[in-house]
Amino acid sequence: MKRFCKLACALGAALLLNACASITPVQPWQKGLLAKPEMSFAGDAIGSGFNEHIYSSREAASGGSGANGGGCGCY
Amino acid sequence: MHSTLPRNTLLAAALSLPLLSAQAEAQPENGTLSLKYLDYQDSQPGARRVRVTAPELSLMTPVGSAWSLSASHIVDSITGASPAYHTEALVPLHDQRRATDLSVTHYSELSTATIGASYSAESDYVSRGLNLAATLSTEDKNTSWNLGVNLLHDSINPGNQVVIDEHKNVVDLSLGLTQVLSSRDLAQVLLGYSHGKGYFTDPYKIFDQRPRTRNHSTLLLRWNHHIEASGGTSRLAYRYYQDSFAIRAHTLTAEYVQPLPQGWSLTPQLRLYSQSAASFYVEHDLNSDPFPTNPPDGASFYTEEQRLAAYGARTMGITLSKRWGAWSADLRAQHYEQRNQWRWGGSGSRNLAPFRARIVQLALTRQF
Repeated sequence: MKRFCKLACALGAALLLNACASITPVQPWQKGLLAKPEMSFAGDAIGSGFNEHIYSSREAASGGSGANGGGCGCY
Repeated sequence: MHSTLPRNTLLAAALSLPLLSAQAEAQPENGTLSLKYLDYQDSQPGARRVRVTAPELSLMTPVGSAWSLSASHIVDSITGASPAYHTEALVPLHDQRRATDLSVTHYSELSTATIGASYSAESDYVSRGLNLAATLSTEDKNTSWNLGVNLLHDSINPGNQVVIDEHKNVVDLSLGLTQVLSSRDLAQVLLGYSHGKGYFTDPYKIFDQRPRTRNHSTLLLRWNHHIEASGGTSRLAYRYYQDSFAIRAHTLTAEYVQPLPQGWSLTPQLRLYSQSAASFYVEHDLNSDPFPTNPPDGASFYTEEQRLAAYGARTMGITLSKRWGAWSADLRAQHYEQRNQWRWGGSGSRNLAPFRARIVQLALTRQF
């Protein structure tokens, strides 16, 4: 757990520092490509819901992509 | 009724809700009504195992000038057979799960706040959940923080009455940072922590006794990149997972979305996964066949469930999408396979049959 926290903190700090210090801010008029649906982390209309359900029913690992609902997922 | 396992898993329907968006977003201008359908069949050599068909109806609509409402309802019909231990002794099962989710989001100029509830019921398992999420962006909207809390209360009453009125309570926390790296790159770091207390044992498995606490941590890194030359988008993700059962897992996902003329797009996908076994997993000893392997003498905890063994898995898939007017349709086909020799950085669990699944998903969406 300690190792995980260190790793997570290091990565988070790295990204944050990178974001704050060295990246040239992108202006609103430069964000046309970022607004495309496929650039969203939400994915397509099918979404990740079904797949997450299948994987969490067949693999030990689950979660990671944010706050979610709960349930059995029994198959 | 027979269900395979009350698991420490997350409800699929709720995952599809926009509870924790990548960026603090504006109120949607249009609503969407979506009908989705899943057809899933898994198998091992010589035997079909579980089949699931699951239609889902979901709705998202803006309300007033600063709110939106999301709701979904899914019905899972589950049939087939599941092993009683390792990949042996397939026992028939039949079940139906109904799940409903509802969430409300408020949008401010630089932030969003969401509250949601979920309810899932089948004959031996009822789950109730409450979700809270918030996002906060910087003024230039190039950086966004998000925070999520999920509370679950599950009630477990297996049909074989091995236990009666058992419970499981889980608290999930997540903290994320999304950063616009350039006009073509978006990256995200998400940290997750889950604390669960209660009944984690599978009442339908032979020789299964698990700790009454399960905590897990996750680190998720995502990077979406638009490729100018092809007009396509690559979507890469890595997740590290560890839990108090001593399971460590790595997941790599890669997708490439290629837009095509006349509103079509094609998305090939590859997912690679590897996990170590739970500390109390009991390896399959062939000398014990045709009976289950006995757990070690004096062991407090033990399991012979395939899902807690050491193995690797691969998924290959492709999605075909079409947009026309206010309508869109998406069709996804995937092949999933688990093998013990595909585990990374170590040997997999012995004497388990290879596991395969084919997954077909369809979504039809109308904007209004």
